[in-house]
Amino acid sequence: MSIWEKMLNVDRRWIFLLIGIACVVPFFTPLGLPILPSQEVISIYDYIEDLSTDNAMFVGFDFDPGTAAENMPMGVAVLRHAFARNVPVFITAYTPLGQGMAGMAIDELTNPATGDYFEYVNWDAWAEIRDQGFTERADIEEAWLAAGNTLPENARGWIFEGRDIAFLGYLPYFHLVILGMSSSIVSQFPTDVGGTPLEEMPMYQDHKSLRDIDLAVTTAGSSACVAWITYGREKIGLPIAFGVTAVMATDYYIYIQSGQIIGQMGGLRGAAEYETLLLDNDYCKNPGKAYIGMDVQNIAHLLIIFLVVLGNIAFFAGGFNKKTKLKGRR
Amino acid sequence: MTETIGLWVGAIFTIGIYSFLYKENPLYRLAEHLVVGISTGFGIAITYTQVLRPKLIEPLANGEQGAWLLLIPAILGLLYITRFFPSVGWLSRYPMAFLMGAGMGVGFPLSMKSLVLRQLEASLTPLYETGMAWDIVLGNIVLVLGTLAALIYFFFSKPHKGPFFGTGSKIGIWVIMVGFGATFGFTVMGRISLLIGRIQFLLGDWLHIIK
Amino acid sequence: MKRSVPLAIVMVGGILFMIQYFIPHQHSQTLFEYYTEWAPIVGAFALVLGVGSLTRLHSHKIKRKAKNWQYSYAVLIPLYSIPFFALVMPQSLGGGMMQTMGGDRLTMGVFDFAYMNIQVPIQATMFSLLAFYIASAAFRAFRAKSALATVLLLSAVIVMLGQVPIGELLGKWFPKVGLWILRYPNLGAKRAISLGVGFGVLATQLKIIFGVERNWLGGAGE
Repeated sequence: MSIWEKMLNVDRRWIFLLIGIACVVPFFTPLGLPILPSQEVISIYDYIEDLSTDNAMFVGFDFDPGTAAENMPMGVAVLRHAFARNVPVFITAYTPLGQGMAGMAIDELTNPATGDYFEYVNWDAWAEIRDQGFTERADIEEAWLAAGNTLPENARGWIFEGRDIAFLGYLPYFHLVILGMSSSIVSQFPTDVGGTPLEEMPMYQDHKSLRDIDLAVTTAGSSACVAWITYGREKIGLPIAFGVTAVMATDYYIYIQSGQIIGQMGGLRGAAEYETLLLDNDYCKNPGKAYIGMDVQNIAHLLIIFLVVLGNIAFFAGGFNKKTKLKGRR
Repeated sequence: MTETIGLWVGAIFTIGIYSFLYKENPLYRLAEHLVVGISTGFGIAITYTQVLRPKLIEPLANGEQGAWLLLIPAILGLLYITRFFPSVGWLSRYPMAFLMGAGMGVGFPLSMKSLVLRQLEASLTPLYETGMAWDIVLGNIVLVLGTLAALIYFFFSKPHKGPFFGTGSKIGIWVIMVGFGATFGFTVMGRISLLIGRIQFLLGDWLHIIK
Repeated sequence: MKRSVPLAIVMVGGILFMIQYFIPHQHSQTLFEYYTEWAPIVGAFALVLGVGSLTRLHSHKIKRKAKNWQYSYAVLIPLYSIPFFALVMPQSLGGGMMQTMGGDRLTMGVFDFAYMNIQVPIQATMFSLLAFYIASAAFRAFRAKSALATVLLLSAVIVMLGQVPIGELLGKWFPKVGLWILRYPNLGAKRAISLGVGFGVLATQLKIIFGVERNWLGGAGE
């Protein structure tokens, strides 16, 4: 057995070990290289930057835990941006497990332990203010302050349930749900996941159907995102933005060029680009998970390329491209 | 306390599944089965609280106006159960027919618009406009001709011979290979990202040795 | 009744709703609204099929003491206990939303515990195993055997380097060329593929509506 053959027949567990090391060690020796946002991501950021409390958007958690490492940072980043700008957000999910993912994202953004969070105000907690007839965001906050509430030190602001956020969750046959919401959101979601009637929410009163919505961001690990285009964009012209896994991202450049989506976050890189924009514009204090992850990605990509090159050298140097047949474990 | 136990449980399963890379083992098999049970159980719970309770049971129980009409989708839905009884199993075709027929009808014009018409329209992009950088002009040429060539490659009703079909399909396969290369590159990025996510969990959330 | 009525329902529904798109009259709009409101309710019951099949499969396995039958309990116990706990201890059904939905981190329900600490780590880790296999495949299977394979390989390497910040250090042009590949040749290839898929989808939809494609009927009660 030649050295090349031995090399190509190496126990694959050594390769597993190598990739494991390449993904662990860089966490302790960060390179800190800058990430330059691409136009595909900047356009989503700019779009949300132009929205305010009078607008409203949907964020679809259309992925399962399997792709959470890529999709979750996107969802969190977009929500953080929307919360900071007081843009009312309706949160939906394409699958039951996606509803759990959405819950975890909200939890992360409202968890004081993170040191950079939004203070969540329960629906019941601000009932008195609603009873006084306040429905405008600025009035609600003013009344809330007047009631003796102060913003905790590390909190960026308040999120009033029903004014800033409506967690609608999952429904089956979601593509038909999108269609249904083009006529009326409440016909599909009579209540939010906590059982609060949607019709009582001030944000619903201002935005009763998808026609009143300014943007839908779908963070997806499957072709679920395309349903938003087919049934939302093509039916009523709803502006759509994608946050998709890297595996799917290359397929969806067609929708950017055709103008069917306003932009796309592709994989961890896309999420890291959005996080960079948030960090640069002071929407968060620390780099997010995707940004840190991309630092590790550097070494892993180099290792994979090295493995491809090495494999080819061994293959051609050993003459396996000609007659010699490679034997042994594959 | 619960949170700490939870982190440990998560970490044990994570490491247990990775041990599969060395050798198949009982912990991996357990995880494999649990994931099926929990996700379906989760699905039942969410479907009940999100759909059946607010959209069916509560309106019926509260006697809301016109709620009796909801008995139609409820009965249709219940027909799915007949699938388990061979003699009446054919009844389960009714809810399927209800969802599928109208679903296809609703979807047809929208799919036509989204997947075909818009794509054709976008393919007819101007190759050059005043002030356009050379790389974009080149890109537009590659895009327009590349799409056409790749379409020719997938067109099997004519033999791939002659200057149009022959050359076209040859260019087409080159363009497709570049596209597949890009997809492979992104796939590598995606898979590595998922591993990075788990390492962030193990080293960060569980062991607290990284941020 | 067994085949022709369901096929007729599909045809009438399909044609009716196709027309509805072009003629959104008030009556057809009402019909459309009923349909979109009812569809999730009907669809929700489809879960019964999944639960039934899983129960049947795994209870048979246990009964027959088939290979690895003990693990079937790991499917059946959570399958029934999770919905039960969700109903009797509904801390929250939003995954992690302990505080926000009025819960408390310290009193996490069984439902949330199972989701956050078992389901999420297991599913995420299983998916991440692919990172190891793709590394192994890169070494063993990714060969520049022909000109076309070399193009694929080069495109992959450039895009990979273009996506990571270190690529720019190695060559300023990597990110630019990487993006160019994604935006033009990749787009051309993917558009051709997606047009093919698009025509396929349309043809299938028409075939189902007009009863040419009948596989969905299955074999029940032939």
